[in-house]
Amino acid sequence: MKPNRKKEPLRLSTVSQSVLACVCIGCIGLAYVWQKNRIYRLGDELKKLEAAVTAAEKRNAMLAAQLAQLKSPAWLEARCQQYGLGLVAPREQQIVRLPEPGPDWDVKFLAPLPVAAPLAPAKKPAARTVARR
Amino acid sequence: MSTAVHQMRILVVISGLSLAFTALAGRLVQLHVFRHEELSAQAAANRALVLHRQGRRGEIRDCHGNLLANSQSVRIVCADPSVTARQADEMAAKLAPFLRMDAALLQARLSGSGRYVRLKQKVDEETVQQISRLKIKGIFFEDQYLRSYPQNALASHVIGFVDTEHKGVQGIEAAMEQYLAGVSGYEVIERDRKGREIRALRGEGIEPRDGYHVVLTLDQVIQHIVETELARAMAEFRPQAGVIIVSRPKTGEILAMGCRPTFDLNHVGEATADERRNRCISDVAEPGSTFKIVNIAGALNEGIVRLSDTFHCENGAFLHAGRILHDAHPYGTLTVEQILFKSSNIGAAKIGLKMGPARLYEYIRRFGFGRKTGIGLPGEVSGIVHPLSQWTKLSITRIPMGHEVAATPIQMLMAMNAIANGGRLMKPLVVKRAVNGHGQVVLENRPQQVGQPISPATSAMMTAALRRVPTPEGTAAKAAVDGFDVAGKTGTAQKIEGGQYVRKYYSSFIGYLPAADPEISILVSLDDPRGGAYYGGSVAGPVFRRVAEKVVEYLGLPPQKPFTQSQQVASAQ
Repeated sequence: MKPNRKKEPLRLSTVSQSVLACVCIGCIGLAYVWQKNRIYRLGDELKKLEAAVTAAEKRNAMLAAQLAQLKSPAWLEARCQQYGLGLVAPREQQIVRLPEPGPDWDVKFLAPLPVAAPLAPAKKPAARTVARR
Repeated sequence: MSTAVHQMRILVVISGLSLAFTALAGRLVQLHVFRHEELSAQAAANRALVLHRQGRRGEIRDCHGNLLANSQSVRIVCADPSVTARQADEMAAKLAPFLRMDAALLQARLSGSGRYVRLKQKVDEETVQQISRLKIKGIFFEDQYLRSYPQNALASHVIGFVDTEHKGVQGIEAAMEQYLAGVSGYEVIERDRKGREIRALRGEGIEPRDGYHVVLTLDQVIQHIVETELARAMAEFRPQAGVIIVSRPKTGEILAMGCRPTFDLNHVGEATADERRNRCISDVAEPGSTFKIVNIAGALNEGIVRLSDTFHCENGAFLHAGRILHDAHPYGTLTVEQILFKSSNIGAAKIGLKMGPARLYEYIRRFGFGRKTGIGLPGEVSGIVHPLSQWTKLSITRIPMGHEVAATPIQMLMAMNAIANGGRLMKPLVVKRAVNGHGQVVLENRPQQVGQPISPATSAMMTAALRRVPTPEGTAAKAAVDGFDVAGKTGTAQKIEGGQYVRKYYSSFIGYLPAADPEISILVSLDDPRGGAYYGGSVAGPVFRRVAEKVVEYLGLPPQKPFTQSQQVASAQ
């Protein structure tokens, strides 16, 4: 005859296994909810960042146009006239053109200079002179 | 109460409940089973939304990367009058300072009928943020792209403009539409009950692709020089119209292209069709004496004449085919070189006669006349070159001096470039390249030779003769650029109105410098200059000189010869 299980004492191992199973299931459930929540939160953050990027791009385009306008020759010319800066392009005669260095330019430049004859002792200058261009 | 009655009531209640639950179950079965497809689709449609996203239109930049056109995102401020009508006066007072609009006009719009009204377009993001902070119910915003041209009227005929749909209508905007226009994308999103996107549930989608940026061969500084000098010439000579083109003869690159009248790209609606027309490519006219380069270059190339050969120029009146041809000044015997730099019509006609119609026609075609240059801008025309079968007896004496043919300014400049460039006829280039947002090149236009009308030796002979044009013995002493050898040719063509020549002129000068190794070529053409002077040398010559001086200064071209005394004094001052 089969023993009546209701009359058997409750075994600790059975209880602990059940509790553990419940805890596990509960944890999995909580983890799922937490993950879902996190996905939604990250989604929202992503959306905000996307909006910020879009806004920055829009602002960039606007600033690029402003910068182009501020750098335009017409604008600069007008400001020069407005403030009386007198800025003009240098005439050809005011430009010093240097010849393109040849292949051994560094040898020529770095070669020791010829030793010059010793200078005569300088006389005391009569007045202070200022070099002018 | 008897048991029977009690039982009956219980039975009725149970029956009622059973019926109710059965009906409910039936309805559930109907909704979930029989109408499942329809209702689930309806539910999905309520949640999901397909968002179409437009790729940003590409930018247009000059050869140094300076911005000439870009697209900016702006907003349209809208209202729902069914919500705003009740407090329209109060709302109008709040919004008016932000929108810079009349409060009465705003109030009228806010209190109108319907559920949608636009209060103001092209509102910047900053203003939108300020309005949003007011938290006014019934006010909402829509996105809008605005094409912005930071340089206003600079190179307006080349850049062109877009329509309200943001599609190119004219100039580079139209010609490069397939590169500039972005590709639309879409996203399937899900919304919450307030209509906000649930980012985590974003479904399938394709990212939009922004348009490619187009880099032109134009240089904004040279373009500015051209625009400034063109404006000065318009004020000085009061012509009906004017054009200046600057190019590199060796590559055919267009560095600047300016037309008058002009228009502001940011206010296209205010411009007339006449102001919007790019005269450099779409206007044809008899070129006049500048066309003599074709005739004489052809004759030299064929060995029919040499520069030292002489022709008698009939002292200014030459009868041919029953009509008298005149020169501006009476000349006796002139060499071919003198015919060119003194611009003798009779001399050119006699060279034409010696050359013969067939060969003249062949050289006209070889230099690219009668067909489009292929510059790649919409609206270019071919010009007029009549086939040989339609030539009259007079044609062989009139075409060599630039009559009975019609050419666009760009065709004339390209022909002169061929002479400057060792006889190589180049295709004009306006678009240098197209790049994507990461700077990768998707289109590269390289200089392209389209013909070799004359040999390098003939080109050198022509340059030698053309160098004498901007000298006191030539027709354009005022076109001389101090410190540089300039080669060029003047043109003064009578206009035709109603089929008759009238006393109105096209004054032009086309030149290049340094003559020995040309870096730039410039065409100046003014339509009907007023105030006395109308010869190409007196009107277009000085304009050419001023443009050339500034351009060589900007490009840093070293001078070939010493400066004159006047220039040295000017520099010292």
